Amino acid sequence: MASWIDYTVNGIIIGNIYALLAVGLALIFGVSRLINFAHGSVYVVGAYAGFLAVTHMGTPLPVTLVIVVVVGALLGLLIERFGLRPLQGYAHIAPLLATIGISFVLDQLVQLFFSPDPRALPSSLLETRFQVGSGTIGALDLVIAGVGLISAGLLYWFLRFTRLGWAVRATAQDRDAAQQMGVDVDAVHRTVFAIASGLGAVSGLLVGMYYNYFDPAMSFQATLKGVVAQVVGGVGNVPGAIAGSLLLGLVESYGIALFGTSYRNLFAFILLVVVLVLRPNGLFASRRQTPPEPMTGTFIAPSRPINVPPKALLGAAVAAALVPLVFPHPYVMQTLINAWLYALLGLSLTLIAGTVGLVSLGHAALLAIGGYTSALLALTFGVPVGLAILSAGLFTALLGTMLVFPSFRLRGHYLSIATLAIGEIVSLVILNWESVTRGPIGVSGIPSLSLFGLELDTDRSIYWFTLAVMVVLAALQFRLLGSHLGRVLRAVRDDDVAARSYGIGLDRYKALAFSVGSFAAGVSGAITAHIYSYINHETFNAQLSILALTIVILGGMGNVTGAIVGSVLLVGLPEVFRVAAEYRVLIYGLVLLLLVRFRPQGIMGTV
Amino acid sequence: MPVLHRRLLLGVSAAAVLAAIAPAGAEPAKGEPIYLGVSGPLTGPNAQYGAQWKMGFDLALDEINGSGGIKGRPLAYVFEDTQSDPRQSVAVAQKFVADPKIVAELGDFASPASMAASPIYQKAKLVQFGFTNSHPDFTKGGDYMWSNSVSQADEQPLSAAYAVKRLGLKRIAVLHLNTDWGRTSKEIFNKAAKEYGAEVVATEGYLPDEKDFRSTLVRVRDAKPDGVMLISYYSDAALIARQIRQSGLKLPIVAASSVYSPKLIELGGDAVEGIFTASRYFPDDPRPQVRDFVARFKAKYGKEPDAFNAYAYDTMILMAQVMREFGADRKSIHDGLAKVKDVPSVIFGKTTFDIQTRRVTGAKNVELVVKDGRFTLWDGGTAVR
Repeated sequence: MASWIDYTVNGIIIGNIYALLAVGLALIFGVSRLINFAHGSVYVVGAYAGFLAVTHMGTPLPVTLVIVVVVGALLGLLIERFGLRPLQGYAHIAPLLATIGISFVLDQLVQLFFSPDPRALPSSLLETRFQVGSGTIGALDLVIAGVGLISAGLLYWFLRFTRLGWAVRATAQDRDAAQQMGVDVDAVHRTVFAIASGLGAVSGLLVGMYYNYFDPAMSFQATLKGVVAQVVGGVGNVPGAIAGSLLLGLVESYGIALFGTSYRNLFAFILLVVVLVLRPNGLFASRRQTPPEPMTGTFIAPSRPINVPPKALLGAAVAAALVPLVFPHPYVMQTLINAWLYALLGLSLTLIAGTVGLVSLGHAALLAIGGYTSALLALTFGVPVGLAILSAGLFTALLGTMLVFPSFRLRGHYLSIATLAIGEIVSLVILNWESVTRGPIGVSGIPSLSLFGLELDTDRSIYWFTLAVMVVLAALQFRLLGSHLGRVLRAVRDDDVAARSYGIGLDRYKALAFSVGSFAAGVSGAITAHIYSYINHETFNAQLSILALTIVILGGMGNVTGAIVGSVLLVGLPEVFRVAAEYRVLIYGLVLLLLVRFRPQGIMGTV
Repeated sequence: MPVLHRRLLLGVSAAAVLAAIAPAGAEPAKGEPIYLGVSGPLTGPNAQYGAQWKMGFDLALDEINGSGGIKGRPLAYVFEDTQSDPRQSVAVAQKFVADPKIVAELGDFASPASMAASPIYQKAKLVQFGFTNSHPDFTKGGDYMWSNSVSQADEQPLSAAYAVKRLGLKRIAVLHLNTDWGRTSKEIFNKAAKEYGAEVVATEGYLPDEKDFRSTLVRVRDAKPDGVMLISYYSDAALIARQIRQSGLKLPIVAASSVYSPKLIELGGDAVEGIFTASRYFPDDPRPQVRDFVARFKAKYGKEPDAFNAYAYDTMILMAQVMREFGADRKSIHDGLAKVKDVPSVIFGKTTFDIQTRRVTGAKNVELVVKDGRFTLWDGGTAVR
């Protein structure tokens, strides 16, 4: 029994830390309807700013806090001014990509300035500890809880009782109406970003002190946990975000208590999916609240896509097929093989996210399912590789659709977050289900690619095989989009109420599109596994899901040629920038930002 | 290729500086350099390890090129960043394979990235030397996969003997990184600990990016161990040690040799005081190559070397020796690795490969304890009071 008190205390302590992150994310989401992927980077910058202040200027804690808030707020203003304001009026998907780009740039800058080594941030003032149960809590735990509660209280007061706060709430409810009533919407966004980022930076500092540890790589995990916590509490709901964070901390702690450490995140993400499916507004939303995200037609705004004539496409395919003959350099071929494999992933996501509007943030899970299925079929049961890849595609279509089916009733960001969670769940199941997947040891000795008993053992043959698979699936997708079915799918995306009133069974069409898309992703994962000969749970990670989305947004949502162009660019650019060594990811992030800035509808345009 | 030029300049200028101070008789290397390809993380979540590799490599190159290089030609490396991502490591592999200047490849860091590239290196008959790849299947990728990474089958029984036989632990709680390395190590450690007569009362695997261990430690406490074994890297070991102390547990902590780094003490502070660990080498070691390595590392970088610095340094020295003795082309290096004998090494004392497994056995082990904020030789006291 005493242990349960300890688990509860520990859960609240860690929830406390998540709350600091979640409040900032909730505030930005509430007003700007945006998951700010750069929030974790602001948090990292906050930790380093505090570190500099303490070590170089010897500032006491209160002064350090003020410095960090100011740095964070300024950074928030910059992010808003250069990353998001130029994109106003475009679909919500463009700013999402912009925040991803900003987070690349910020993380890299921090890494270049401060080296990637982890650092210590000693907090000698706050070492006092109090006995609670059989463990102790430190003064710093109380400071963190205090900062969380005070900032939530201040926010509540600000939103409720000040004119600017009213303006923020009005903008959150209806941006256009607020603007017509004379609210300076830009000022509102600026304020929100400054407050949220100031808070994010402080949380970086406090968490750095708490663990006496911080490094530039911690930003992604911070964003992830913050997003989960605020969705559990109710997106955009500040008190809800705090409650959601505490709940998340408790679930993790009890999950460890019951099943062991390696199951920790599994429970967190299962909780998230359950909450989303049962109460899409979050656990703490009032019933009177307006329906979540009345944004039919605004999440993905159609634009005029660039029409490539079929003859040009055919020409491009032929040209691609001739590469190994004209320019037989293995490095170029390997890079293009990667590009074709990503293009398959892009085709999959562009259909699911672009055409049907289910923006998935967990697409790497489909690659993993495909990769493991094919690898294990070929290795354990001796299934010929060609057949194994095909079966893997079909199995991925089936399993992927089944996993996502309960989430089909969700829309916009809610569905994205559900898929993010499902992606993490798949990866954790792979890690823990050792009897089948071999856990962290991974699957090695996967047979190399072969077709009808014919070994594809040259770079050239692998190149032609992946290109052919990609071209065939792309052609099928073209055919699908041009058909009656394609129009139905777009109708579901653009206005699901109207679509339903025309007698379209939404779930069925969504499931159909999802399974077609999952097939392509599964095949891509399967081919990858046979090329690599070794995969484990880290081969298809969450960063890959983000990359998939980047490919699709960059190419143009729902656009088949866009997915291919996007993947060639995103695979090619980091290779081209190789000469820049350590600076290459920084340059890549900047190019990404410029592309979003000047082509927010995607290079080839949204279909 | 600016990268090449920069490296070349770096190598040559370092050689020139050394030439000025080198004892008479050692001619600095000049002429067209011989290149090794390095595939590893310079950006992304594992970037810190790539940075440590570079320090070790550069230190070794100063020494090699200051004393004649490879038969008069300087040795240099081309470091291609892969973020330790398999998609990039396969592309880099193709790049190296197609570049006739590259005579052997070192890396990558994590198993998924290294082993995905193995088929390419094997097919092209270019040696892939995975010096941090302890995955038991790494060298099974083919006869061009070699590794001087310390085998866990070698290392973990030593840790177990330290914890059980010498420190007197009887009920051990094991916390391990849930990666291929941590998983393999844990299996071998648990088995060895049982053979020595101890009981493993709890085994908890955690993910590399985990920062909070409080609830895990409640589980550990409830298993009533008399000591904790950490199969961790230094950064997570520091986090765990702090939280063990904060949650009021007064258990002795033993940690795998991978925590040996000045960073452990910087990050862990008072909490790592009294941690028992081991290392491949120790600054006060009587072996001349260790003293020399530590002294020159401190002179060049102003800090103590850690395990990853040492692996990288050893590897570069080994490759130079192989090339000096057997020739600096792809085939000679492959054949030479099988023939080379007793290369001076910080980690092994002397490196000789087992031709069957293409690995090195017999890593040195020094038993240490953290005392007054420094790693010191273990004085023979038991941990269990």
